[in-house]
Amino acid sequence: MQPKTSLRRIAKGTVVQFGFVLGAILIIYSSFFDWQSRDHWGVLSAYTLLTILSTFTPVRLSNTILTVNNAVIFSGILLFGTSVGVWCAVIEALIISSLTRVNVIKAAVNIGQLVMTIWTVGFLKDWIVSINAISPILADLFLAVVYWLVNLILCGLGISYFYNKGWIETVKEMAKGFTSTYLLLMVLAGVGSRLVESHGLLTLIPMMIAFITISYVFHQYYSNVQKLQQKVEEIKTFNHRFLTTMAASIDARDHYTSGHSQRVAHWAREIAKAIGLSSEKVEEVYFGGILHDIGKIGIEDRILNKKGKLTPEEYDQIKQHTVIGYDIILQAGMFHELLPAIRSHHERMDGKGYPDGLKGEDIPLMARILAISDAFDAMVADRPYRKGLPVEDALQEIRRGAGTQFDSELAQHFIRVVNQLSREELEKIIQQDGHETKQLQEVID
Amino acid sequence: MLLDVICFSFIVALLRGGRVKELPKFYKVGLLVGSIILQVCAAFFSKWSGVFISVAYVLILGFFVFNRQYEDMRIFMVGWFLNALAIWTNRGKMPIDLEQAKRLPYDLEPVINGTNFKHSVLTEASNLPFLTDVIYMPSIIPRVISIGDIFIMLGAFLLVQRLMNKPISLLQLREGKSYAAKN
Repeated sequence: MQPKTSLRRIAKGTVVQFGFVLGAILIIYSSFFDWQSRDHWGVLSAYTLLTILSTFTPVRLSNTILTVNNAVIFSGILLFGTSVGVWCAVIEALIISSLTRVNVIKAAVNIGQLVMTIWTVGFLKDWIVSINAISPILADLFLAVVYWLVNLILCGLGISYFYNKGWIETVKEMAKGFTSTYLLLMVLAGVGSRLVESHGLLTLIPMMIAFITISYVFHQYYSNVQKLQQKVEEIKTFNHRFLTTMAASIDARDHYTSGHSQRVAHWAREIAKAIGLSSEKVEEVYFGGILHDIGKIGIEDRILNKKGKLTPEEYDQIKQHTVIGYDIILQAGMFHELLPAIRSHHERMDGKGYPDGLKGEDIPLMARILAISDAFDAMVADRPYRKGLPVEDALQEIRRGAGTQFDSELAQHFIRVVNQLSREELEKIIQQDGHETKQLQEVID
Repeated sequence: MLLDVICFSFIVALLRGGRVKELPKFYKVGLLVGSIILQVCAAFFSKWSGVFISVAYVLILGFFVFNRQYEDMRIFMVGWFLNALAIWTNRGKMPIDLEQAKRLPYDLEPVINGTNFKHSVLTEASNLPFLTDVIYMPSIIPRVISIGDIFIMLGAFLLVQRLMNKPISLLQLREGKSYAAKN
């Protein structure tokens, strides 16, 4: 596997570092003769101005910033041919490399991919013109798509090489971010070019106004989206803090189990990650862990903090915490997604658990995850009246309970997760109590 | 040479609420002085003017390189470099397109007969013609400029904005932010 990967990387490196740069040199050299022609000087200066302007006129998208250079280059190709497009690319590269500290190889590769895109589109345009079979509008649309596609593929290849990522996934990621706006700008450039062709250079003025307006609208729109996202984040943070505070207050009532909810939440999250749940689900499971014992608020102190063995009646009362917690959250009208965690985390796979005696798959996944985390923490954590079990023994118990008390597949995942940790990390997590929530968070993250 | 551009930049900066508070510190000003001396020498020793001007351009480029922490200086550097390429490859003189230059109200005789120490006539034999003085700029002061001059004008505009304490950062514009934070 290893040699194949490195061979692929060497091939990619050769194409990117030599192929792209060689391509750039050849294409720029061939354009050079067109630049010498007196007829082109006016166009070159106009496109220099346009390039300067467009380099600093970004269109802001939600996750990236797109400059309109490609649109300018595209219009250059359509109106005056490949050499004008290449000129714009060279001018842009000159500006960017003088303004930013650039890596020479990366800059060369970047201009390589750009001029190769330009050359391909220019070549296709000449071919389409020569066969004269497609209407100009369709041809422009087709060329815009080709420009986008070739640019994406070559750019993706460069990025995947420099950042050591898969080519296809890089291209997909890039395409997801800005395709629609990119194509919109290219199509506008095409329309603008045809207008200039038929009505002269003055049509550039309304075109520029259109560009600036679009840029402004996007800017406004995405800054509003960003503000909204910020608000959502704030609310999320508030919820997290609120839940963590709840957990701390639950644990504070139960003197024997300081930090229990935090640790259970931590282990539950690890299991959720191990079985490949989505990041949102993983977070849900974590907060399920944080709140799973909230019902203990409704248990008398006398019973909750009783030293020594509980009577069957007292034990029955303790068992009520699942239902009490469920009712509290139900009434609160918030965090409904966490209800199964609170009600069913003491259910058993064989149906002998409480409060509902659910069996097997009927027990919600979150509750099955929490059952293991809860049992494990209860076993290994030190209590004032007894020392915690050694981790190996606790895992043995989990193994023994797999299939009857616990979901056997989840138990397997959990055992693997714990075994992957070093002794030190494990101790650090087990020893955390509620007062050190922050450190626990750090350990987790 | 850039008088109109500089005046225009000052007006823009004033409208933006800019005021001169302190002059920035430039490094290696000697290079700039040296370059001016060389250009003066070029005017007097026409035989060696090409060499003087070529070296003067190296000195100015050096000055920009030493002051490159400012964006305006880097834009100047691009412009000066493009002009320098045209001058170095054309024996120390900037070729000017007569077709465009004839529209100017100046006497072109010294350029045509080769006695102008800075300019020569653009011919088929001139190198890198697209970087020479080929663009007619009608206002504010009519002149024929090169593509490098476009960058120099932009650099001058940015420099004035910075002098007046209202710097504009091109890079930040590119990143979608409006204006530069004050240095």
